[in-house]
Amino acid sequence: MLFSILVYLFGTFISAVSQILLKKSSQKNHKNRVAEYLNPHVIIAYTIFFLATLCTVIAYKYLPLSMGPILGAIEYIFVALLSFFLLKEKISRKKLLGLLVIVFGVFVFSFDFTILF
Amino acid sequence: MLSEMLQKDRMRELKGDEMKKLFSKLSAYKYYFFLHLIIFQLSFGGVLSKFASKTAFLSIEFCLLYGLMLINLGVYAILWQQIIKKLPLTSAFCNKAVSIIWGMLWGVMIFAETISWNMIVGAIIVLVGVVLVVKSDG
Repeated sequence: MLFSILVYLFGTFISAVSQILLKKSSQKNHKNRVAEYLNPHVIIAYTIFFLATLCTVIAYKYLPLSMGPILGAIEYIFVALLSFFLLKEKISRKKLLGLLVIVFGVFVFSFDFTILF
Repeated sequence: MLSEMLQKDRMRELKGDEMKKLFSKLSAYKYYFFLHLIIFQLSFGGVLSKFASKTAFLSIEFCLLYGLMLINLGVYAILWQQIIKKLPLTSAFCNKAVSIIWGMLWGVMIFAETISWNMIVGAIIVLVGVVLVVKSDG
């Protein structure tokens, strides 16, 4: 189960990396429409995105479907962190609060509190 | 007499403006409806992935289910591009958080997964968090 969660999170992480690559490509000037879609950044991004979908399928072997989209919300955190470090985008206080709320929600979702009682 | 006519014209213009506003409101609702339709469609990608994960890796069944999932994702991506032309990106992303609810629903209904109270509370907290993150951009 833990392995599945890690594979799923790895998938969301590389999916976030692909988003950053797409953003990087969009910031560049391209010769024409075709170059906008067929350039190394975009091709690598979609290859990574394809691998991310494979991670999802591998993870679902043991991961309940109900947990997938919840763990998927972690992608917001990866995107924010990668944008911060690689694209030098700032994280506002409001966004930071939202990111912490997501982490807390995932924690509440995954943690079986009944073992406390 | 002339001023009366002008006034009538003005009234007509005002009515036209109101109608335009009403129409744009209605068309926004229409696009939100389409948005939720494709979010609903995307949720079946999860169901297909889950079915694929139960088959032997790279078997015919696996390739079929995984392929269908990719097609589903591709169709979704194209439709999403069209819808975000008409709606603010922030609102579109906020609404996407609904996929959390679909995931739980299909998990319970199709794969007989169990949902406990902490999962429901956690899902609501994550939903709030997503809305906060997305709104912070807007």
